Amino acid sequence: MKKKRGLKGSTIRQIEGSLFIAPWVFGFLAFMAFPLGYTFWMAFYTVQIKVDGIHYTWVGFKNYQTILTGNSDFISKVLPYLEQVLVMLPVILVFSLLAAILLNQKFRGRAFFRAIFFLPVIFSSSMIVKTFMQQSQGGLDFVQQYNVTGLVTMYFSKSLATPLIYVLNNLVIVLWYSGVQILLFLAGRQTISLSVYEAARIDGGSPWEVFWKITLPGMTPFIFLNLIYTVVDMFTFSDNPLLTLITPQMNYGYGSALSWLYFAVILIFLGICSLIFITVTTRRPAR
Amino acid sequence: MRSIVPINRDTITSFNYRKLLRRLRYIFIGKEVDSGLVFRLFMYVILLDISFIYLKPMIYMLTTMVKSFSDLTDPAVDVVPRSIYLGTLQGAWATLKYPTSFVYSLSIAVLVAVLQIFSCAVAGYAFARLEFPLKKFWYFCLLLVFIVPQQVIILPELLFYNKVLMIGQVPFPLLKTLPIIVPALFGHGLRGALFVIIFRQFFSTQPKEMEEAAKIDGASVFRTFYRVMFPLATPAILVVFLFSFVWSWNDFYLPNMFLNGAKQVPLSMGMLSIESYLSAQAADTGPSVFDDPLRMSASFLMIVPPLLLYIFAQRWFVESVERTGLVE
Repeated sequence: MKKKRGLKGSTIRQIEGSLFIAPWVFGFLAFMAFPLGYTFWMAFYTVQIKVDGIHYTWVGFKNYQTILTGNSDFISKVLPYLEQVLVMLPVILVFSLLAAILLNQKFRGRAFFRAIFFLPVIFSSSMIVKTFMQQSQGGLDFVQQYNVTGLVTMYFSKSLATPLIYVLNNLVIVLWYSGVQILLFLAGRQTISLSVYEAARIDGGSPWEVFWKITLPGMTPFIFLNLIYTVVDMFTFSDNPLLTLITPQMNYGYGSALSWLYFAVILIFLGICSLIFITVTTRRPAR
Repeated sequence: MRSIVPINRDTITSFNYRKLLRRLRYIFIGKEVDSGLVFRLFMYVILLDISFIYLKPMIYMLTTMVKSFSDLTDPAVDVVPRSIYLGTLQGAWATLKYPTSFVYSLSIAVLVAVLQIFSCAVAGYAFARLEFPLKKFWYFCLLLVFIVPQQVIILPELLFYNKVLMIGQVPFPLLKTLPIIVPALFGHGLRGALFVIIFRQFFSTQPKEMEEAAKIDGASVFRTFYRVMFPLATPAILVVFLFSFVWSWNDFYLPNMFLNGAKQVPLSMGMLSIESYLSAQAADTGPSVFDDPLRMSASFLMIVPPLLLYIFAQRWFVESVERTGLVE
């Protein structure tokens, strides 16, 4: 006798999968989609919180207008910060890539050095980095010793010199922000198989060539991943100027508009970075 | 080829000479470029330099916080203090209300970390292996969550928790942190998207045979997950736990938003109380030489727990990161 089952196998699988993802989807709707939509909606209103409830008054694009044209802190704070991120981004990426390659080598004391290099993973998200910055422990001694700041202001235009000096003065802090990036690169480096390196060695490739023709192309996806991670990290970390702009005491409509503009800036920035990255990596002729 | 050369005294000495030279070359420059002594030395110099840069603020912190008044005012004392003075540390301990804040911070961080391990593992497994409707769309949403900053969604949450749930009036300190903990229950919360991605990567690199064997033996998909796949994910669990714990421990933004004005605050907000204490003192009696040591003591008290956890876990941690297939 043929046993009749209510559901097909594929349907059962779909239901099981849905049960597994349901909590996450619920969380997404409740803690991401809804607040995101709500801020978008609030941005068009003036929100007043009174004893008898919350009052919304339609103002259209006025909130955005005030931010973009009025004398708000947004433009004056975001643009210099973008410049800083733009300068810090390559520094962080290059440093973490080189550090990961160094730490990937076999040598005595590797575990010890790895432990130190991952130390920033613990601290970078913390307020302590800010304290270190305030103590001006962030700079390097040679920067003061050889008056590098003076040289930079002499030879570069002002708009270029300011972020450069910022990076020089905070070089140590920049290094502190590359803990997770080193980790990601190190993990990514494991995905390039040893046999490729062996083959290159047998064919007489020098380490220099091996780096440019095997390691770097093999690491390209991880460089991209790190690029995105770093941008996201930089825009959410504790010393971010925008963090101080949105407070619980402000007009929520204005704050919402601010946060959406901020989000748009991040999206555009990420988009430009990815675009540059993709054109750079694909234009390289295949050898 | 050399064995063909007829042996006489001259060739033997020159041969040895050449051999010696070659051996020296192997020692200093190496058969491969990266195995010689010169390269090693160069590498160690760079590594030690960078390690020093990383350790310098910590050394400063450790030595400053134990300086006594005479050490602080004596210009001859640069880094190492003459005597160890623990008074500043005690002051910071008292100002931070360390024992209670410590327990508070610890309970938040552990709760968030444990919840995120389970919820993100479930979601990651679903993204890696299971079928469900609109999978591609939800994956896109996952990536979106990864890049949306907290600031964009904070205002409605504030509105909801403060004005609708009246979380500010709740008497228990731990209940006040619900806005921080509840999203973790559903695989969100602080960088939850990253953890889901880590678990997804891990599960998708695992061989399918295990699940197939479990399925043939009659295990349901839930049993397969909790009995086979979840225990397998130890490296990913370790990485997620450490990240989640440390990030929630250090997080300043969310507590500052949701616990603004609360009596009991986690340690990450302690820096604020230290700063306000210092500025109040400065307005009263002017800045003191102990300002800096106090800040450093507070910093030290804040980072010791994650540091201990890291020292304890770092060996497995580094191995785990390599084995998670974290990136791919």
